[in-house]
Amino acid sequence: MGTATGIIRALNSGIKHIAIKRFTLRYPEEKLKFVGDGYQFDPSTGVGIAGLKGRHMLFHDHCTGCQLCSIACEGVAEAIAMVKVPDQQKQNKKSIMPQIDYGKCVFCGLCVDACPFYALYMTNDYELSSFSKEGLIYTPAQLQVKPYVAQDSEIQITSRGATHG
Amino acid sequence: MTGELPPGLALQKVDERIMTLNVGPQHPGSGHMRIIVQIDGDYIVACDPDPGYVHRGEEKMAEYRNYITNIPHLERPVIHDSCNVLYPYVLGVEELVGIEVPERAKYVRVIASELNRCIYTMYWLAIYGIFLGHSTMFMWPAGDRELLIDLMEKMTGARVTHAHFVPGGVRNDLPPNFEDVCLRQVNYFEKRIKEYSAVFYDNPILIARTKDTGILSREDAIRLGTTGSVLRASGVDYDLRKKEPYDVYEELDVHTNVMKEGDSYARSKVPWLDMMESCNIIRQALQKMPKSGSVRTKLKPNPKGKGLDSVYKRVESGRGSLGCYIVSDGKTEPYRLKMSVGSFRNLIALPYLLKGEKLGNMPSVYWSLNYWPVEADR
Repeated sequence: MGTATGIIRALNSGIKHIAIKRFTLRYPEEKLKFVGDGYQFDPSTGVGIAGLKGRHMLFHDHCTGCQLCSIACEGVAEAIAMVKVPDQQKQNKKSIMPQIDYGKCVFCGLCVDACPFYALYMTNDYELSSFSKEGLIYTPAQLQVKPYVAQDSEIQITSRGATHG
Repeated sequence: MTGELPPGLALQKVDERIMTLNVGPQHPGSGHMRIIVQIDGDYIVACDPDPGYVHRGEEKMAEYRNYITNIPHLERPVIHDSCNVLYPYVLGVEELVGIEVPERAKYVRVIASELNRCIYTMYWLAIYGIFLGHSTMFMWPAGDRELLIDLMEKMTGARVTHAHFVPGGVRNDLPPNFEDVCLRQVNYFEKRIKEYSAVFYDNPILIARTKDTGILSREDAIRLGTTGSVLRASGVDYDLRKKEPYDVYEELDVHTNVMKEGDSYARSKVPWLDMMESCNIIRQALQKMPKSGSVRTKLKPNPKGKGLDSVYKRVESGRGSLGCYIVSDGKTEPYRLKMSVGSFRNLIALPYLLKGEKLGNMPSVYWSLNYWPVEADR
């Protein structure tokens, strides 16, 4: 193949892309769709349930304050600290619950695997930015709130190429 | 100035014609490493790669953490290829602790590691494109990589650094309807990477720049101990997936891509051919995978090795052979962990390849070695 033919072929291959749909996701306006409600773990079978490893969610009525999540995090990020629960909130036996520092968390989900009481799950919430370091520390009361995550686009493959529809 | 200078500070006598040039460590074209090049005019006389700027002490860190909490930090050296980096460690711990892996988990691992190999290679290819000033080849792989990252996100819950493999299987089962989505996106991905041939691999400008530069002969490739795509581009048919099959690779039909030239062009083309082979492997694995069953053998939260014991396991990663040597003394932490990585072995060939080349050919030769600075430094 000659040099001229090769260059024309290369240009032609690029020109074909004018007809192909745009693949880019326009992020703040449209957001990706995830499977399920976030990463969860079933201690009875020892197998997790697929989902995004995002911000945690703590179920206060299941948490016993056993500190297993904090111990699991010790060698990883040391993001989980057990803190005293205020008197007006729901108490457990030791009246301590995990508080998570998202400035340190690496979202590996090993704390979820460690929880034997179905108390700690992960959610689809991934937009955790904050203006201060203190804003990244989530108290047990904040972790209780189920986040709202907009999910509208998914990869779609058509005859005119793939797109985030 | 009076007195003699200490030996380190004394000026070295140099040839007037030779100039020493530091490429890196902050140069965008070198990664986190330095290449000390001596040039005579436009030609490289000698070259000395100087890695070590991103050394994090992964091996020492592993001695203070137990077998499970080692997982998140051991995949950090190559975050794009995190499943493959973790693979030998997980295989080794399974043998030390003595647990069996369910059949379905083995297939899930193969799919995850092949997807990761493609993700890594696409990232590498994008940088190779921009090194050669080919912006299209930067944009296309960076965009098409998203197809596979989306699959990994559905499968493991994270776009990079998945922490998916554990001793005894994988962390979670596949999401519902994953097989169909995976097959659809992998097929489209394969169609897309075939289009790269017209714009990149058959492009006369690329061929003129990379053909016959940095030739590594078959004998030298073996003598210097290179692995992976560099070795296969020099005409040695060596792939650990075929030679020492781990998990279920012996049940799958793995075809290796070998090129005889041993120049930069061959070294850049072999990973691209390997990606198509990965797509084939994923399709086979999806077909042969048991449709149901457990994916993880239950393990104690803090597993221990069985007395004084050692194990060495290696897998074929995106950059060649990746080995992990673990010594256990019966405690919950490994006594010693050693990672033997493909990047570092391939870097050894660089001084031999660059001698006599033009300085302008340095980026194309350097990045064709499939080298990842962070992995080499560990």
